[in-house]
Amino acid sequence: MTAPRSLWSQIVLLVVIITVCVFPFYWMVTTSLKTQIVALEAPPVWLFEPTLNNYREALFEDGVLRTLINSLVVAISTTLLALILGVPAAFALARFEFRGKKDLWFWFITNRMVSPIVLALPFFLIARNLGLLDKHITLILIYLTFNLPIVIWIVTDQFRGIPYDLDEAARLEGASQFTIMRKICLPLAMPGVAVSAIFSFIFSWNELMFGLILTRTEAKTAPAMAVSFMEGYSLPYGKIMATSTLIVIPVLIFALLASKQLVRGLTMGAVK
Amino acid sequence: MKMLRNLLCSAALASLTATGAMADGHGWSLKKAAAPYAGTTVDVVFLLRPGYEAIEAMLPAFEEETGININIIKHPYENALGEQVRDFVAGGDLDIALIDLVWIGNFAENDWILPLADVQAKYPDAVDPKLDMDDFFPLVLNAFGGWNDTVYGLPFDNYSGLMFYNRCMLEEAGFDGPPATWQELKDVYGPALTKNGKYAFALQSKRNETQSADSFARVLWPFGGSFLDANFKSNLNSAESQAGLKFRQDLMQYMPDGIVAFDHAETVNGFSQGDIAIITEWSAFYSSVVSPDTSKVADCVEIAPEPMGPAGRKPALGGFSLAVASQADEAEQAAAYLFIQWATSKANAREYLERGGVPARQSVYEGDDLEAFKFVPALVESWQDGVPEFRPRFAEWPEITEIVQEWGTKMMLGDVTTEEGATEIGTRMESVLEEAGYYSGEKPLAQ
Amino acid sequence: MRGQVSRKTIFAFVGPAVIGLAAVGIAPLIYAVWTSLHFYNLTKLKKVKFIGFENYSTVLTDEVFWQAMGRTFFLLVTALPLQIILGMSIALVLHQPGLTLIKTLCRLSLVLPMATTYAVVGLLGQVMFNQKFGVMNQLLGGADINWIGDPENAFAMIVFWDVWQWTPFVALVLLAGLTMVPGEVEEAARLETKSKWTVLRYVQMPFLLPGLVAVLILRTADTLKLFDMVFTLTRGGPGSSTEFISLMIQRVGFRGFDQGLASAQAIILLIITIILAQIYIRVFYKEV
Repeated sequence: MTAPRSLWSQIVLLVVIITVCVFPFYWMVTTSLKTQIVALEAPPVWLFEPTLNNYREALFEDGVLRTLINSLVVAISTTLLALILGVPAAFALARFEFRGKKDLWFWFITNRMVSPIVLALPFFLIARNLGLLDKHITLILIYLTFNLPIVIWIVTDQFRGIPYDLDEAARLEGASQFTIMRKICLPLAMPGVAVSAIFSFIFSWNELMFGLILTRTEAKTAPAMAVSFMEGYSLPYGKIMATSTLIVIPVLIFALLASKQLVRGLTMGAVK
Repeated sequence: MKMLRNLLCSAALASLTATGAMADGHGWSLKKAAAPYAGTTVDVVFLLRPGYEAIEAMLPAFEEETGININIIKHPYENALGEQVRDFVAGGDLDIALIDLVWIGNFAENDWILPLADVQAKYPDAVDPKLDMDDFFPLVLNAFGGWNDTVYGLPFDNYSGLMFYNRCMLEEAGFDGPPATWQELKDVYGPALTKNGKYAFALQSKRNETQSADSFARVLWPFGGSFLDANFKSNLNSAESQAGLKFRQDLMQYMPDGIVAFDHAETVNGFSQGDIAIITEWSAFYSSVVSPDTSKVADCVEIAPEPMGPAGRKPALGGFSLAVASQADEAEQAAAYLFIQWATSKANAREYLERGGVPARQSVYEGDDLEAFKFVPALVESWQDGVPEFRPRFAEWPEITEIVQEWGTKMMLGDVTTEEGATEIGTRMESVLEEAGYYSGEKPLAQ
Repeated sequence: MRGQVSRKTIFAFVGPAVIGLAAVGIAPLIYAVWTSLHFYNLTKLKKVKFIGFENYSTVLTDEVFWQAMGRTFFLLVTALPLQIILGMSIALVLHQPGLTLIKTLCRLSLVLPMATTYAVVGLLGQVMFNQKFGVMNQLLGGADINWIGDPENAFAMIVFWDVWQWTPFVALVLLAGLTMVPGEVEEAARLETKSKWTVLRYVQMPFLLPGLVAVLILRTADTLKLFDMVFTLTRGGPGSSTEFISLMIQRVGFRGFDQGLASAQAIILLIITIILAQIYIRVFYKEV
């Protein structure tokens, strides 16, 4: 039996939590609708006449649209590539016995931990020697360093949950391991594949440092673009927040779609 | 006969360059010179500053006339060096280098840019007979565009440090004019103008080039200090350098809190909002502080030369030249040269000025219809009396500025004393110079 | 026996991923080792030369490097306990029965911070924590706190955003752990004692441990990786007060252009990361 008073305090607490989580987004969106003069009011104003001017300027005059498309192309491509490479490896890690499996596993998880700056320096020099700077393919490849571990981790976990009995019959009939994976296990592992794809997409979309160092104009990503507004001789807060809103909306939608699996994905399967 | 033709040509040019194309088939015209390169695209880095917006607004005329496309890649200042270095070492797309005066030694020694004379010799038909190199302020041409007696770039976005002051605030506090010396700024104007959330002064000191150029060097020179002595050893522990650095610490009480996080934007903003009475900023920000769209105090803005120190005026000197990149192919080099020549030309200087740019052409400041540009007298004065090595321009500057930025901000924050900080900078700076070969005689002592 | 397959088959399945990850993950590291043994300055490529371990000895004796490292761990030990305490409280509130609708809403809101682009968090920080026109000081009742320009405040601001972004993660991980506790066990325990603490300590804790371990590992790794948010918020300033290890290496490599020195720093960071990962994983993870 919960006493009414503690019920109320629970509600208040929950509302506070929700407010703290959501308020920055509210502030981001409202600031993005302010003119520069309103954005620089001190103390800040809460009621004002909204304008979509910042979005128009950002998207069509400053080229944010193109960087959003770049981010989209890169995030989708690298996700697909990570799935193509990662799903078979996950299948093998879940179902085959072989020497060095543990080391392989360790290597994958270490990749998740390495600071990107460790790779960014040499990758820049290599990309420079191969003429790969400012190309989408460069980002697509380097994002594998964090996407591939994610895919392998989540999907391995999913494959492990599928009982062997299911494909016993197929194996007796002489089906290859590849056929078993594709025809029998993969359909069952689809939820895990979908979650890993969403994660891969979110991480790639959110990435800044590689985008900053390895691209210039052609392949510039949206976060790299948002940062470059920050240091003019005026600080166009409205426009920066408009760009931020455009960047954040897609990932928030994806994250909400995957909210049930989010924890599992972020802990790489350690927590189910 | 030849002389007569030349004479006629210049007469024709004089009357026609302003409007563009020349009907005369014999004389030089931009259109004709550019004809072989029509359709070429030239890539160049621009900053997010008024001078660049000015030339961008004028660009359609150039593109129409020449058929050359100028592809502008915009970056904030703090990214511009990194972007260009990465492009040049990668053999990238840039056809023009945008060179801050402290980068020129570096760019020249890496052969990333071509000497102007080489470009002109390679593409003689592109050279405008009315280029008139002597019309550039000699100090500016030498400091922004030259290295080791060779001219590489033409001065494009040109600055001098100026004192911007809010006449209304000063009058309210009983001052008829701005301070003449740094000492007066601190002792008289400081206490009188710092109150009720308003500040007498702000010295942009963020830990990036702003710290070295706008803050550290600005207090060094007027007090007789310098980065290096004649033997290229650190001069930062000299009595004069220390006097300047200590002065900065004292002056901080009249600046807003957190001045070490102030970049140009914050400083100009604070001034434009009427919160700060006096700033020392680049001439480039003039158009921003006098525009009612971006400034609440547009009507109160007045300009004076920077205050004097015991060693004289020594205002901050900075600015950008444009040079042809060696990595560009032939058509791009020629087209790039045509653009640079056009953007810095005598004929376009007035329009550039009116649109918010600051040309380095002496002729444009000789007219008497300059009332709208209050910064001109102070600017011209600075450019006649500046220190070219205000910040050393040698190839080692990018490394040294990082050191100055780090320890300069630590000094301001009180993490180290000015002596300790100067010693740290000195040791580290000397080890960079040692590595570069200045002490072994491998490299001439040029800055 | 199940699971026994030919080497060829194993290679066909694992090979592409291993080769792919080696190409983008290991090849650069080998190159970095090579670079770290050279004087390799991007603006002095004509003077590249082998200098042995000089870069390493510079890094190992450079107090600035170790200060950045220390600062990074200081951030970890400041932010992580806050995240665990707050996260645990949130998880316990959400775990109580009833109020389904508002709790679902709350769970969904918790998802938002951790999915937010890190760079955007930094930009938001700039807008919200501005001393004059930031909403934060207004919400604090017209306070006049200089967040970005003061070393301690700037550090506190970084802690704030790290806590804002990652407390939900901790909360959801722990909530997942709490729901693993069998209902009967928990109820029986509650009948026996009134102390919520006792229940937490003896009944729920065993189920929370795997999650806490994961949090510890991942937050350590992510703090060593921390770059985007700080880069957009303070750039490491004022002074060096928020210059964490990844920012410092980036500065040396791409602003000072000393790729040789930066590579040596990066390799040392990598070694520290691997040692920590080894310890954590060998001690805590027992899967596979």
